[in-house]
Amino acid sequence: MEALNFSALFFYAFALATIMLSILVVTSRHIFRSAIYLMFVLVLTAGFYVLLGAEFLAGIQILVYVGGIIVLIVFAVMLTTALKEIETPPPVSRRFVAGAASFIFMWINFYALKLFPFKIIANSNSNGVLSEDTVKYFGRKFLDMGPTGFILPFEVISVLLLSAIIGGIVIAKTDDEKANV
Amino acid sequence: MIQASPTILHWTFLTTIIFSIGIYGMLTRKSAVGILMSVELALNSAALNFVVFGKFVAPQLLEGEIFTLFIIAVAAAEVVVFMSILVALYRNLNKIDVTIASELKG
Repeated sequence: MEALNFSALFFYAFALATIMLSILVVTSRHIFRSAIYLMFVLVLTAGFYVLLGAEFLAGIQILVYVGGIIVLIVFAVMLTTALKEIETPPPVSRRFVAGAASFIFMWINFYALKLFPFKIIANSNSNGVLSEDTVKYFGRKFLDMGPTGFILPFEVISVLLLSAIIGGIVIAKTDDEKANV
Repeated sequence: MIQASPTILHWTFLTTIIFSIGIYGMLTRKSAVGILMSVELALNSAALNFVVFGKFVAPQLLEGEIFTLFIIAVAAAEVVVFMSILVALYRNLNKIDVTIASELKG
């Protein structure tokens, strides 16, 4: 194939940008800048979802991560740290140990992934899901009580979200009665 | 120029690299918000991994994307609880340095 493969080009460009921005997220001394770098990483991940043909997930990613989680993190940064505050760099020994740990993890994972034979599971009684039917498929699966359905995790997630909201309010509220009035 | 489409190995190597960077951040950061951001990086790469496996191993099903939706919901719940713990920590210690937060009951 002589033509330029655009999806491969986008993959490598996005991958390079994502890796560089991820390194900036964990090494930047300004915590606020880290949050902004993290936002770009999450947007690029939405780009990866589009490359993989999961457009619905890309939308959810932007909505939940960029619209919700990044806003919460920026709130947390602004509530707890002065914006000009610069974090002291970690000691060299800790940096060395952390670097060694993550590098060993990465290396073992590379090795395991190279060894594992990935085979495509053929499913004869299905012709695949059309991209415009994705949301319909998700809805059916989430409320399916059969053996391939996901109704139990769906309900558990609903309870988890409710308990997270209640728990968040209970933990963060002040004991001071006057402050509540 | 680049001609081959990325295979499953390219995708999984990418997510492994991002996950390792997240581990590095979790081990080196002192501020709790920094640790939270590293955890988000790791969660995000794991979620991407589910979609990659779904696409390359079972291309006719969308089960991987469903798992990713669950991960996104759990990440949202986690951030909410983490943020409230952070506010409580800051109120008690006036700092969010995890190395000095060693007591459970202040």
